[in-house]
Amino acid sequence: MGLLSIIKQVKMQEKEMRILILGLDNAGKTTVVKKIKGEAIDTIEPTLGFNIETLTHDGFTLNVWDVGGQKTIRSYWRNYFEATDGLIWVVDSADALRLDTTRAELAALLAEERLFGASLLVLANKQDIAGAADADAIAAALGLVHSTAQPDADALAAADAESDAEPAAASSSSPAPSTGPTQVAAKRHWHIQPCSAHTGDGLLEGIDWIVKDIASRIYMFD
Amino acid sequence: MGDYGDWRAITPDEVLGYNEATQGYLCPHSANVYGIEFIEFKIRDLDSGAVLFNMRKPDDLVLPPPVEGDNSGRFVSYDFGAAFLRYKTIGTALTFSVGPEPVPNFRMIERHYFGDKLLKSFDFNFGFCIPNSTNSWEVIYEMPQLTPDEEAAMIAAPYHTKSDSFYFVNGELIMHNKAEYGFSAPDGASED
Ligand SMILES: Nc1nc2c(ncn2[C@@H]2O[C@H](COP(=O)(O)OP(=O)(O)O)[C@@H](O)[C@H]2O)c(=O)[nH]1
Ligand SMILES: [Mg+2]
Repeated sequence: MGLLSIIKQVKMQEKEMRILILGLDNAGKTTVVKKIKGEAIDTIEPTLGFNIETLTHDGFTLNVWDVGGQKTIRSYWRNYFEATDGLIWVVDSADALRLDTTRAELAALLAEERLFGASLLVLANKQDIAGAADADAIAAALGLVHSTAQPDADALAAADAESDAEPAAASSSSPAPSTGPTQVAAKRHWHIQPCSAHTGDGLLEGIDWIVKDIASRIYMFD
Repeated sequence: MGDYGDWRAITPDEVLGYNEATQGYLCPHSANVYGIEFIEFKIRDLDSGAVLFNMRKPDDLVLPPPVEGDNSGRFVSYDFGAAFLRYKTIGTALTFSVGPEPVPNFRMIERHYFGDKLLKSFDFNFGFCIPNSTNSWEVIYEMPQLTPDEEAAMIAAPYHTKSDSFYFVNGELIMHNKAEYGFSAPDGASED
């Protein structure tokens, strides 16, 4: 039995997952986590470091790392990549002016070798705001799908796969760092979820997808 | 300060092997070269959501540097009341700030004992802390299963339940805090 599968088995026994939440400042990352936890969301201050929260879902313990997204601290994100099972990328769907920045930051993350194995959940947040871009438009703006096409079949299949994940999809992809996000996304388990951290709509669906996706990859070793 | 012996040689593995609270503090205040400061500590009952304890340093309070030999700043004595022992799932949230230097490999090991019985041991790796950052961490845990006898013994012997919190950076001890816990009956009836 290889070392990797031993590590996965230990993880499985402890039923722990490490989830990293990133996105530009003001996207709603901290509000998302607090809302899921059922805590007050009206006193949240900008995150000038990290907030580590423990969530439980489906019998799994999620160690959720919410790291501040201000420009000055984005260069420190890389210190939190190690051992990440899932990446949640939060987008302010009403912030049209910064979609290019959020696209560029996400593309840089997806090219990171240490995140190759991580499931990607994109939260198209702030759907309660009138005029917010919908999930398809956000996926296109982030370059996850070609703007003229529907989400590609692989991605949709990955989103549905609950028990029979393809080992190849998670572990054998090694896209060159120079490939655009579209190609990277094609080999990755990813899913986009419209949501509102204010109303709570869509949050549990998103968490449910990423937990099932990670679990299906971890459970395939036995 | 000769009192601390060779505290730089103390390893995480060593403190993970302890089976009761230490006699004194294993490192001087001066070991905290990263300027790590605790800002808030909160305990919640997850089942009801109730906040059971909350201690926050006022934003405008600037603490003077601690004086070696004065350990009041790294010791807390709690009386949670007997009901505390009946909670099933507890969340403890810690907020801390760090100084102008990046902190690599920040790790906390906290051990709770009643006498020489280990009740709970946490070992959490924060990893990297951003310079001048404020960070928070909430851990959720199941309260240790106690027999009725153990519970009665803990109530009958206030402050014999103790904890040591050891903080390491790159495997080197930089802080050691202590706490003691009492579980008196809410109406004070158990005093005798
Ligand atoms: N209308 C609306 N506002 C939101 C939503 N999520 C977050 N916000 C607000 O956006 C601001 C930034 O939220 P915060 O969680 O601090 O963002 P972070 O910097 O990504 O952690 C706050 O004023 C939140 O109340 C949402 O779904 N809808
Ligand atoms: Mg935040």
